[in-house]
Order: sequence, then C-alpha cells, then structure tokens
Amino acid sequence: MATRKITRREMLKLSGTAALGTLLAACATPASPPQAPASTSAPAVASGPVKISVMHDPKEFTEDMIKQFEAANPNIKLEVIKTDMTRFYAMAAAGNPPDVVRVQAPDLPQLLSRKLLKDLTPYFQGSSLLKPDDLAPANNYYKAKSPTQFGDGPIYGMVKDWSPDFTLFIYTAAFEEAKVPVPDATKSLTYDELADMGKKLTKVQGDKVIRWGFDLADGWIDRIWMNMLAEKGASLFSADYKKINLVNNDEARKAAKYFFDLQKANAMANPLNPSTDWIGADFTKGMVGIIQYGYWFSAMAESDVTKGKVVMLPSPTWAGKRRGPTMTATGTVISAKTKNPDAAWKLFEWYHGGAPSVERAKGGWGVPGLKSQYAMIPTDSPFQKQARAILDAELPYTNDVIQFNPYISGDTVYNLWNKYVEQALRGSLSFDDMLKKIEAEANTAIQEGADRIV
Amino acid sequence: MDIHLPLVQKGRSVRTQQSAANTQARKGMSPRAWRQARAFYLFISPWLLGFIFLSIVPLLVGLLISFSNYDGLNLMEVKSVGLRNYARALGDTETQYALQRTALWTLLNVPLWLAISFGLAMLMNQKVKGRGFFRTIFYLPSAVPVVAIVWIWKIFLDKNYGMVNGLLGLIRPGTALPWLTDYALQSLTAISLWTGLGSGMVIFLAGLQGIPTELEEAARIDGANGLQVWRHVTLPLMTPVLFFQLVLAIITSMQAYVVPMLISPGSGQNLSNLPPRGVYLYMIHTFQQIFVFRRFGYGIAMLWLLFILIIVLTFLVFRTQRYWVYYETETEEKKA
Repeated sequence: MATRKITRREMLKLSGTAALGTLLAACATPASPPQAPASTSAPAVASGPVKISVMHDPKEFTEDMIKQFEAANPNIKLEVIKTDMTRFYAMAAAGNPPDVVRVQAPDLPQLLSRKLLKDLTPYFQGSSLLKPDDLAPANNYYKAKSPTQFGDGPIYGMVKDWSPDFTLFIYTAAFEEAKVPVPDATKSLTYDELADMGKKLTKVQGDKVIRWGFDLADGWIDRIWMNMLAEKGASLFSADYKKINLVNNDEARKAAKYFFDLQKANAMANPLNPSTDWIGADFTKGMVGIIQYGYWFSAMAESDVTKGKVVMLPSPTWAGKRRGPTMTATGTVISAKTKNPDAAWKLFEWYHGGAPSVERAKGGWGVPGLKSQYAMIPTDSPFQKQARAILDAELPYTNDVIQFNPYISGDTVYNLWNKYVEQALRGSLSFDDMLKKIEAEANTAIQEGADRIV
Repeated sequence: MDIHLPLVQKGRSVRTQQSAANTQARKGMSPRAWRQARAFYLFISPWLLGFIFLSIVPLLVGLLISFSNYDGLNLMEVKSVGLRNYARALGDTETQYALQRTALWTLLNVPLWLAISFGLAMLMNQKVKGRGFFRTIFYLPSAVPVVAIVWIWKIFLDKNYGMVNGLLGLIRPGTALPWLTDYALQSLTAISLWTGLGSGMVIFLAGLQGIPTELEEAARIDGANGLQVWRHVTLPLMTPVLFFQLVLAIITSMQAYVVPMLISPGSGQNLSNLPPRGVYLYMIHTFQQIFVFRRFGYGIAMLWLLFILIIVLTFLVFRTQRYWVYYETETEEKKA
C-alpha cells in the first residue's frame, strides 16, 4: 500500500496549527461557563425530593453535614459547589444562581444593589432557632435598608461565626527581648502607641528583618482605614459612594500615611520586604511582635514556639472612640431567585442554629452567630480564658459595621494600594502622587460599577 | 416481493441497494477515497467537535464581549461600547508598562531557555555511563507541580530567611539580597528555566537522535573536528526543531502568568495580590482587570490584542526561517 510521508516542514506546520489553537483558546471568555446546578423547579411540597444547591467552602460545609441534613430531611437533596464568586456571578447572570451562598461582608452591598439577595426577615420572625433578638452584633452586616445603608433594616443573611477583627495578639517574648513593657491587656492602645511599639519590637540584623514589630492582613488595609475614619465620623467615600476621597481628605491621608510609614520603617512586612508566608504563620513562628487579626486567631495563636507567650489585647483606637466590629462577617445568604425558598431556609436555619452551629461554637474558631451560644466558647486553657475575658470586654464595641462600597469589589482599593505602594516605598512615586493614582483609578472603577447597575 | 428469497440472496440485495445509494452520495470519489475520507472525519470528529464547541464558540462569545461593558453579572443590561475597550487598552500606561515588562522577560527567557535546553540535550546525547539517570534527573523538575517548585524557590530566595542569602552570608555576614523583589525578573527567569528545561531538553534530544550518524561520520572522515561537525552538520539539521521551539517559547513567555503570581508576596491567599513591579506582566494586568475590577469586556479586549501581537511576532519569526532554517526535504525538492 502506498503511503505518503509527512515532511518535517509539514509536521512543523501541523504543530504550529495546534499551538495556534491553544493560543486562540486563551482569548476565549475567562470565566467558567455557567454550569448551573441541576436545580429542580418543583415546589417544596412536591412528592419527589427537592434539590438545593449550596455554594460553600467544603471545609466549612462538610460531607458529614450533608449526610446529617439529608438524613433529617429526606425530601431535600443537597448539591454543594465550591465557593467561587466569579462562578456565582456567571450562574446568577444565567438566571440560575445557587440557592444558598457563602459570602463575606464586602460582597453584600454589591449583591444587594444587583437585587440578588432574598429578604429573610419573615423567616427569622417565624423561626424558633434563629430569633432576631438572639442575633450577634456581627449580623448587622446582613441587615440593610439600601446598598449604602447597612447595619439595620431587613435581614438578608447571617454570619456562620465572627470575630472582632481589630483585636490584637502580642508575642510577649518579643517584648522581653526588646525590653518593651508588655501592655495592660485591659486597656485599649492607641494606634500611635501601637506604631511606636511596632518600631521598637522590629528586630534587624544587617539588611535582614528577623522580626516585624507589627503586622496585619494587608488585604484588609482599606477596611482598617474605614474603621479609623469612622471613629471621627469621616468616610473614605462620598455620601452617595460614587467617589473615593483620599487626596483632599486629611483623615484618609493620615490613615494611609500611618501604614505607609510603618512599612517604610520595615516595622511591617511590605512589598520591598515581604514575608514568604501568611502573617498567622509568621506570628506562630515568633517572627511578628504584634498582630492585628481578631479573636478567631486565638484558636491557633499558640504554637510550640509561642505557647504561654501570647496575650490577646483589645482593639486599638485611632481617635479615642472604641469601635471593634468584625470586618469579614463570613456567612450565608439565600439567592433572591431561589426556586425553593422554604427548603433553602430549612437548610439555612439548620446550618446557623442547628448542630453545625453548636459544633462551630464549641470549636473556638470564632464567636457564634447567636448570642445564646456564647456560653459554648471553650475556655479550657489559661490563654483561652484570657482571650475570652478580652472578648467579653470587646463585645459592647462590636455593633457598628463598616459600610463597603456597592460599586466596586472589596479588593479594589487594596489592589491599587498594593500596586502603587511599592513604587512609593522605592521613592519612584511620592506618597501624595500614590494617593492621587489610587484615587483616580478607584473612582474610574466606582463610576463604571455605578453605570453598570440599572 | 422478495419475501421468499433465500437469506443470502436477500442480504446481497440489501447490500446492493446500499452500495448504489453510497455510490450516488460520493459521486466523483473512488470507493477507496470515500472510505478514507469517512475514516478521517470519524477519527477527527471528537477533537473537531470539542474544538468547535469548547474553543470556537467561546472565542466568538469572547470577541463579542470584548466590544461590550460586560462585568460578569450584567448580562441582561450589557451594552455595546464599540472599539472603546481596544482604544483604552492601547492608551493605558499600565497596559503599556505590563507589555514592556513582558517583552523584556521574553527577551531574557527565550534565548536562555533555548540555549540551555539545547546544550543539555547535546550533553545528554553523549554516550556516557549513567546517561539515563542524568536524563531523568534533568527532566524531573518538569514533572513536579509548579506550585511546589515555586514554593521551594521562595524559601531559597527569601531575603530574610532564605538559604541563598544564608550561604552568601558565610562569605559576607548579613547579606540580604532582595531576590524576590529587586531581582524579581532574574529570579523569575531562574525559576522558569528550572521548571522548563526538562521539557525543552526532551524535544531537542529527540531531534538530535533523528540526525543520521553517517552524516557526522562522513564529516569526520573529511577531516572536520568536533566543533566543525556541530557547526556544519548538527546545527543546520537541528534548525527546524530550534525554529519550532522558538515559536512555542515566544508564545508561552508572552502568556506567562502562574509563576510570577506564585512568587508574589502572599500568593495563594488573595487573588488580588500582585507580584513585584518588575514582573508585573501583561497577563497579570489582564487578570486583575477581569477579576478584581470586573472589567470582563476590557480584559478580553486586552487578550485579543495580545493574540494579535503574538500572531504578528510568530509571522515575523516565520518570515525569518528562510535565512536560517534548513529543511532536508526542501533541498531534495529543489534537486528534483
């Protein structure tokens, strides 16, 4: 049989074509195509089982929980999708969002402005497990009169647990080493005192930073500014949230400068001197003197290195007014377009007031979402007892919320800070020019976001 | 009525009818050509269908989105913005900066990768003891997940606690070179070479083993030394492979995303974390626009611009091949 050999040139052409195909694929839409769950359109009273789709973190919504719930509710089948907000948006755009969704505080104004959240107030009012009066203060993040008025009003969801995130942890060995007196745990430090301590605790050997004096989750930086400004009744945004004010806003400028100076002094990890790990791990390795991370971190603050040398402190103040809310408020909501609201509520109620919530409360990884479960918080070790005492003293200052901007993602301002602070730290951009750039780009993003919402 | 016909005869009759119908359908084609064509389309159909529905259709959707203000959620209210996304990308200083860094990285990475992987392939082509062992060792980094490799490199290169600065500290105590920040481009190149050399080496090795030994032997008999044999026999015969690798390396480098993102501080915790400014590459800027700023239309327009740029570059490289790529078949064709 006659055969035709493929020449080397033809082979290369074919390979080139294949490579071109791969390259073209990169230009396709980046989001995963909407893979809507096979949700049923049957009402909750239908004879067959109802399927509820849950977008959640598999570590927080485990296989065991699914089995428990399905055993107790044979008419409801659960389909769990891993949390991915891009996928959520794609599913919502396709008109078939998951029924129950894990969210965080910065997502909520945007979701409400897009009319994606179901008002759960009537359900709360009729529930014996989730009574409105029993809701912990962090649930204020799920109450809103409008996308720019969070804190009170109809209830759209609930925290799974929470934490006063501005509270501090100190590594006392670092204080002893630097001969800095350990602060009184019953008193709230000022941010100025904190910066002073942070600089003193920073340990340097040659050009190396062996220990940062003070650190925080840098992704939260604009949330911290917002809380600082709120102490003075000021805001990062204009009243209608359609502008960010950094350049001509003295208070905002001071807040940003505070962190810039700490980074410049290498008292805090920064883009020129970053850590290879996350700050919690750095703290447990004894590489950070003070960490601003919130009560939840008490579950892991003590390691082999830090055991017996960690003290929790109250949240600091910027202008003398105590404000110690959570700034993440991780919880769940129900989609406005759910086809099975009663079944979705049943799951919601069970997750937040049933066995999983009891398990979470006893785990010590955060403050329960219900006040009636506070007594379950573990206080076995001396450190847990100390942390609990600080938590109890902090609770009266946790009612406030940080009002996030409904027109941009919660990462926008941080992302811009992250991009320009490196240049400012290198001196290729002045601090004020950095603020101008952040303000200009953030305002463009806000304007675009506002234009897209009908 | 053929109801009483014997079964064999009935079968024959049916086949005859089918054959007639087929003959009608493939008018102008020989039966053999028809069978070959049918087999061909059947064999390629899984790929072809996948390519159409999973590549071509999303591509067309992507093209449409690039002319819109789509943000991932406003599907029902999406508006056409014409060429505004493209004009914006061309005028955006950040996009230009990211493109410059990408070009620089490509200029640094591609020649080094080609030279070192070709050199390694030549070494691994020598008849030395333990050759298989060394081939495995050099290929190993290509088989390890890139996340693990970058993590290890980050530990090596960390300014404060890294092993490299620790070793340098033995010579000059207190040395703390900022490998992952001030030398981010160089570090990125080193990490990428480490992960990519193995696969490059394997392709070059396959090319080297395809070179007929009699050509090299003939050159030696004619008095050529090792360098001359390499220069006048091995290298020309390897140019088609070099050309192929060059095209692929340019495309891959222009699209680099994962490694620079992984070397960024706090990688893995937050998608809005950024790598050091030195490796703020085009794909990173694009990713930020799409997923942090929710500018899907704009981000996809940026991807189309990158695609066009890569096509132009590839075309230019193709145009140069007449000057430096040697094809045996071409010579034979010319002779004929």
